[in-house]
Amino acid sequence: MFSTYPGQVVVDHPVKVPIEHRFDPYVDNGGTLLSIAGEDFCVVAADTRQSEGYSINSRYVPKSVKLSDKTVISMGGCYADCLTLTKKIQQSMEWYHHAHGKTMSTAAVAQMLSIMLYQKRFFPFYSWCILGGLDEEGKGAVYTYDPVGSYERESCRCAGSASSLIQPFLDNQINFKNQVSQKKTLSLDQVLRITKDSFTSATERDIYTGDYLELFVITSKGVEVQKMDLKKD
Amino acid sequence: MSIMEYNGGAVVAMVGKNCVAIACDKRLGVQAMTISTEFPKTFQATPKTYIGLPGLATDVQTLAEKFRFKVNMYKLKEEREIEPRTLAHLVSSTLYERRFGPWFVEPVVAGLDKENRPFICSTDLIGCINFAKDFVVSGTTSNQLYGMCESLWEPDLEPEDLFETISQSLMNAVDRDCLSGWGAQVTIITPDQVITRTLKSRQD
Repeated sequence: MFSTYPGQVVVDHPVKVPIEHRFDPYVDNGGTLLSIAGEDFCVVAADTRQSEGYSINSRYVPKSVKLSDKTVISMGGCYADCLTLTKKIQQSMEWYHHAHGKTMSTAAVAQMLSIMLYQKRFFPFYSWCILGGLDEEGKGAVYTYDPVGSYERESCRCAGSASSLIQPFLDNQINFKNQVSQKKTLSLDQVLRITKDSFTSATERDIYTGDYLELFVITSKGVEVQKMDLKKD
Repeated sequence: MSIMEYNGGAVVAMVGKNCVAIACDKRLGVQAMTISTEFPKTFQATPKTYIGLPGLATDVQTLAEKFRFKVNMYKLKEEREIEPRTLAHLVSSTLYERRFGPWFVEPVVAGLDKENRPFICSTDLIGCINFAKDFVVSGTTSNQLYGMCESLWEPDLEPEDLFETISQSLMNAVDRDCLSGWGAQVTIITPDQVITRTLKSRQD
């Protein structure tokens, strides 16, 4: 009937064989985010497209959340995990406020987020977090995370599907790498222009980035939100 | 591990005002280990046309020699230099000949035609040509190069400005790719002259 190999058992009646049922718990909803720390301000920007494979779930699902007047968090990756993580952070910040009578500082939120992420080390939150805000001295602060909580304070960082496209541009324009010109501090206007240019470029070449750009500008006056159109194709 | 990422490399070409530029990194590695820092990936096809060949290094060398042969034969038979657009199609058919056992390179062609009009294009490893009007990128650093070129390029750059733009695009892109870098080579092709410059960059 059909050839056999050594060790193979052929029977002439139906046999029960174990079949593994699998379920992949992670979904990538795409999108790109970035954050730049200035002298006395911080910019947190993210596109608002949510995708699944080649489909678009929605053109406007914000990836950034204002946690306090001094802190904004932005998360990319699996939107479900990002939502739950945001909720956990907000609830913890409320507990902190009741216990200590003051809002959590940006550095404190940064440390707490790291702990929260590592607590799920063996079933991680599939979320790429960037925390932006003002530190206790009023200077801009950007904290970047990996999905299991390794974190670092940086001057600028982008994450998400177009991060490999934008990060070298930020190295060149914010940190003046490979340039002989003297390093100088950038104004809010310059940083906003660099941010908008980064996203328009990313939108051209990355299919998961586009629709709208939401910019959170954190200064000593508080948090201001700007919305900008991006290409919708 | 992808075979296209075994040796590493980056090539980019851009169009300027009556000129083109092509640039590549100089690293040759075997996965994480760097073997050589003197392995440029651009080759002259004619006095006004260059081919960039990033990808598997053995195929880079073989195809560079195959194209040198084919271009020389063309010149002997046609008694004229091959035009960049024709060379692009020659590259494409050479790659498609190996459709089911491809050469692991993704070439870039840049040059000026006989009327000194700029021409650039890139192909995938089986010969699909992408005729671009602005810039083309190829190699392990292509994502980073897309980001840099999309932000920095603008139309009608003069040769000096084009040189700065393509250099900054390449240098900052390869600094974010561990498999590319260790120096760069930039060639600017204008109707009067061809200048190749070597850039010193981060040596890591």
